[in-house]
Amino acid sequence: MFKNILIPISSEFYQKEIFQTGAFLAEKFDSTIKLIYIIEEKTLDQTEKRLDSYRTDFDKAETKKEIIRKHIHAADTIVFDDAKLFFKNIPFNEEVIEGAFSTVIKGQLNKYKYDLILMGFEKECLLHYRLFEEVDIPIWVESGTDEKSILAVCSNLAPNQKVPEMSLRLSKTLGWDLHMVYVVDIQDAVEVDSNGKRSEKKSENALLERGQQFISEMEKKGIDVTLVKGSLEKETAKAAEDIGAGLVILGREQKKKSILGIPVKGMKRKMAETCKYSILFVN
Amino acid sequence: MDKTNEGVEEEYKIIKGKNPVLSRRNIFFIIVSFMVIVLFYFLPTPDGLRPDGKMMIGILLMGGVLWIAEPIPLAVTGLLIMIIQPILGIMPAGDVFSSFGNQAVFFLIGAFILAGALEKHGLHKRIALKFLGYFEKKPKMFTFGIMISCAFLSFIMPEHGVAAMFLPIVVSILIAMRITPRKSNFGKISMLSIAYGCSIGSLGTLIGGARNPLTIGMLADLEQPIIVSFFDWMTYSMPVVFISLPLVWLILQISFPIEIKNIASAKTEINRQVSRSGKMGKHELTVLCIMIFTVILWIFVSSPTYFSLAVIAILGSILLFFTGCITWKDVEQRVPWGIILLYGGAITLGIGMQKTGAGAWIAHLLFNVAGNNPYLVIFGLIILTILLTNIMSNVGAVAILLPIGVAIATEIPGVSPLLASMLIALSGGLAFMFVIATPGNAITYSAGYFSSRDLLRAGVVANIACIGVIFLVAIIYWKGVLGL
Repeated sequence: MFKNILIPISSEFYQKEIFQTGAFLAEKFDSTIKLIYIIEEKTLDQTEKRLDSYRTDFDKAETKKEIIRKHIHAADTIVFDDAKLFFKNIPFNEEVIEGAFSTVIKGQLNKYKYDLILMGFEKECLLHYRLFEEVDIPIWVESGTDEKSILAVCSNLAPNQKVPEMSLRLSKTLGWDLHMVYVVDIQDAVEVDSNGKRSEKKSENALLERGQQFISEMEKKGIDVTLVKGSLEKETAKAAEDIGAGLVILGREQKKKSILGIPVKGMKRKMAETCKYSILFVN
Repeated sequence: MDKTNEGVEEEYKIIKGKNPVLSRRNIFFIIVSFMVIVLFYFLPTPDGLRPDGKMMIGILLMGGVLWIAEPIPLAVTGLLIMIIQPILGIMPAGDVFSSFGNQAVFFLIGAFILAGALEKHGLHKRIALKFLGYFEKKPKMFTFGIMISCAFLSFIMPEHGVAAMFLPIVVSILIAMRITPRKSNFGKISMLSIAYGCSIGSLGTLIGGARNPLTIGMLADLEQPIIVSFFDWMTYSMPVVFISLPLVWLILQISFPIEIKNIASAKTEINRQVSRSGKMGKHELTVLCIMIFTVILWIFVSSPTYFSLAVIAILGSILLFFTGCITWKDVEQRVPWGIILLYGGAITLGIGMQKTGAGAWIAHLLFNVAGNNPYLVIFGLIILTILLTNIMSNVGAVAILLPIGVAIATEIPGVSPLLASMLIALSGGLAFMFVIATPGNAITYSAGYFSSRDLLRAGVVANIACIGVIFLVAIIYWKGVLGL
């Protein structure tokens, strides 16, 4: 399932816990790991912009070189050393790249085949995490929690094709309990079809009926599903809290919540910001 | 190491046909700034203000927008401010460009050349390592040592140069100690000590920040000129420095309690770096002697008429050339000429505000609103400056507020132009809250040891504390003891 795992680490933040999860997944799925340390271009550009007028081009270039040199040193001495401790018998490669986080990762995905991106998350940094919306392989956002249960979230806002299959396989392979919830999101009362296309607005009853249909289909596969009604984000957080979830699996949610008619993006980022559990975005 | 985004970006550029020069954001702010001028052109002139004064306020606001949003380089805004005054008929071109020949500009040039020589020969690094060596016993004292060293070096060279120099030294030490970025309070305090030490130290002498000579330049250009010598400046500012340094250090210790007990590996790393520097070379020694000689002349010998600060600064620079310690190529590489242009714009802004009566009009307006309580005025000036300097270049903040502060001083009994100027100049150096506030904050943030939230958390408390320090020093020492 996850044969080739990409672990990107940004110079903006470093979470050692992802190595623990990486090692765990690699053992279960017999994976190889590629570790990339990304020296954030945004931070370098910000520093250079701040030094404009105060430092000459020569001085700015010297400062930039020193910053990059120190990041490479930190990557070699701290990050890759920690990785060696966790990935004792697991084959892994390491690389240092300068660039923008999401752009570098997309570049890696263009060059090599990966089945999973395993990454940390930090709210207070310059990253915009565009890759949550822009890549089509699963992204595991590790929170460092010790809980060992899975909450799979389906809703009227997603095709609900990959999430049930992936959550079943993960539950079996990792040996974690599986809980599934179907959220009827009444804030965005549309249905998303198998191609990810949003329908016209539907009535609450129609959405609930669709939810019941989904539950019956899952029952045939031996999965119990709880139906809830409300906001996708809030109900997910509530369900995760109730069952003590370690991992929440979310699909290709197409939520568009309008404020004064202006669509608001970044639901996945918001969920990563607010949740205390790890999230697996099944893209 | 390799750039993997190049293919994606190049493809974008080929599809679009050309590289964008100005972003939409930048174009927006340029348009806004010019709209301000147009708006002021068509606004009726208020009572008590001349038409050229009204336009001068428009230019002040235009400068403010451009210096805060930075859609064009700060230096170009300085140039724009200079030429827009003769274009709008506010001041003759001869007057505008002659104020650019202010002595303080040449003091700045000389100071930058001296600092360039220090950087070229690595003398600043040697001094920094020597200082750090005295504080390598305990973690807390080590962080204090970083702050003191940065502050001391910011007395003799521009603060951003000190921050750029200290960054690799301290990061090497943190890596040697295996301090994980963002996770360690010791790492956070070490990096924040660089940023804050440089900012506080830059207040101490005229060399630490370009806003300091800007202040004395503006004071010398008043209708009743006020001359501030190198030693005078130190007399006014050092109490603020000596009180703020341990206070801010204490705030950092409380905000981020240090978790490590042993810094033996720090000592090893410092010794390794010292041995890498080798023995002091002939040129290093010569630069050190010239630097000491120049500072002694500044403190004890300078006089405003003949042997002025600028003359001594240029003398020191020329001695560097005579002794072969520096070449013109080094000067081209290391002297930021952009800041001279920024400075020129700031000086002409101040003179324009003064000559057109715009500064006095604004002061009168504020006086009607806020009353004539001198303590309230002092407090207000400090707060306003600190807020502004946290969101824009500190030279720009001081340039905008100085003419207003000087004009306010003429309205309020108990507040002299010198007092108001010192309040603004010193407060303008204390930008602690945001990454974009100063080059020192941006440089230290880039190493990845603290988050923007850490900076804001510590910076808010440190700024509040320093507001109190400057206020008390102003009331008790400047007004009470020195009679400013």
